[in-house]
Amino acid sequence: MNSAINYTYTFSHGVEWGWPIAVYLLLAGMSGGALIVSILIRHYKKQEASTPLFKAASLLAFVTIMLGMVCLVGDLDKPLYFWKILINYNFNSVMSIGVLALCIYIPLSFVMVLYAFEDEILELLSKRFTFLKGLFVTVMQILNKIRPLVNALCIAFAVIVCAYTGFLISVLVRFPLLNTAVLPALFVASGLSAGIAGSSLLAALCFKEDHHSNDLKTLHKIEWPVMAVEIMLLGMIFVSLIIGSDAQKAASAAFCGGAWSGLFWVGVVGIGFCLPIVLNFLLGKKVASSNLAFYVSSFASVIGVLLLRIFIVYAGQTYDIFI
Amino acid sequence: MENKRRAFIKYLSVGSVGVGVASYSNLLAKTQPSQDETKDKKPHFGMIFDQNKCVGCTDCERACKKVNLVPKDQMRLYVQDKTDPQKRMEKRYVRVSCQQCVDAPCVKVCPTKACHKDENGITTMNTDDCIACKYCIVACPYDVRFINEETKSAESCNFCADTNLKDGHEPACVEACKYEALVFGDLNDENSYISKMLNVKDSLRMRPECGTNPSLRYIPVVKLGV
Ligand code: SF4
Ligand code: SF4
Ligand code: SF4
Repeated sequence: MNSAINYTYTFSHGVEWGWPIAVYLLLAGMSGGALIVSILIRHYKKQEASTPLFKAASLLAFVTIMLGMVCLVGDLDKPLYFWKILINYNFNSVMSIGVLALCIYIPLSFVMVLYAFEDEILELLSKRFTFLKGLFVTVMQILNKIRPLVNALCIAFAVIVCAYTGFLISVLVRFPLLNTAVLPALFVASGLSAGIAGSSLLAALCFKEDHHSNDLKTLHKIEWPVMAVEIMLLGMIFVSLIIGSDAQKAASAAFCGGAWSGLFWVGVVGIGFCLPIVLNFLLGKKVASSNLAFYVSSFASVIGVLLLRIFIVYAGQTYDIFI
Repeated sequence: MENKRRAFIKYLSVGSVGVGVASYSNLLAKTQPSQDETKDKKPHFGMIFDQNKCVGCTDCERACKKVNLVPKDQMRLYVQDKTDPQKRMEKRYVRVSCQQCVDAPCVKVCPTKACHKDENGITTMNTDDCIACKYCIVACPYDVRFINEETKSAESCNFCADTNLKDGHEPACVEACKYEALVFGDLNDENSYISKMLNVKDSLRMRPECGTNPSLRYIPVVKLGV
């Protein structure tokens, strides 16, 4: 009886949220992930000075979240109306909650940049814009007093930002691949992964951090458990699909046989997981400690997370409950 | 108590239609008054699409476009031919449109409250507030929203809330249907034709598993194969 009544013609034709959203999801995750690990490492190692890693991570966090905002607003069909979101809050909407979190997170990440580059900015200001120097010194005095508080808030909001990007799409009941409870956790884990890889890359490239420095070694160590968690969460999603309803079973084609499964296996698994593992563990100590392995595997991690987001966004919207 | 007695009297008056159907509708009648009471008799508009009567003429589609100024190659309402290719003689059509969910995901996710419930409980749009983020479109489990090419805002069927209904008419599709396949009215009013219909006919809600509680009901063709 139901099959004669259930329609299959629908009004949105294809993928409504495209690559700008996938890129935004990567950038937001990477930004949050970078800040979480760098602040935790500082705390854990009781560092006082601005280490290259901290500089890299805070700069990366701020730049990526700003670029992310460009993607997010650019994807609206009416970008000039963006401000409406700021005055018409709907606290039932994950998007509104996320925007609110971003309104707090973005200034916090900017303050992190100020902490990281305090000396550099001071030097610049004494040379050029001398009239701003006094103001900057006062501001930094205040900020340095509340630094522990700022750090704590920053970690909290970084986690919220990473997780909300998952909740944003996991509430979409129409798409079995997206509508799973573990998606936000997957997004936090892969955000951490991208943040670790991105900030160690930047630290080495721009701030001359040695690849075998203490900080990067620590990062390197936490990289693997995070990846293991990611793989486990992906496995959980896959299992929940194959044992689920008809629509869920159909959506498991995202992983095996469907149009997007190639992207998953080559991109997410091959580039994102296997390449770093092979370079770091399977080819011997010499390769593992080489410059090449460092750059390639960090880069591959970031690309892998990007491809994961693209896969989730596109494959997710390809398989819906209309079967 | 009052409600139960009323339901009982109503049950007696329509009871002669058929014991099986009526006992089912009595179940509905028992569950619905609780909703009525909390809502204090505010209207709750609903619609019935009767598959037994629809002939697929698409007059409703055309009327909708005309009244609601839907751009040429877009639609709020579509009548899909779901005839089984094995049984070409048994024509079956289905109305594709907003289900007017009571617990509407589109309203819940809209960050600007552009998509909202109006004073009559109808899911409708405030075009000026929409930023076209498309969140409502992906959130709607029935996939019946779209960005209007001209206004660049999301929209879906709103029972002609800002056109026909405002002027005291029935929705355009209902007015246009020559075969009485569409019935529109207030589900909270026990004396409305739609309430009486639902009391005597078996009807379905689309995809109840999505938990959206649609106000659009479908009466399916049931061929017992005599
Ligand atoms: S059918 Fe879709 S557009 Fe209509 S009220 Fe339900 S969720 Fe909203
Ligand atoms: S597209 Fe418009 S109506 Fe839909 S959720 Fe976004 S702002 Fe709201
Ligand atoms: S006008 Fe009536 S009979 Fe014609 S397609 Fe629409 S619902 Fe069916």
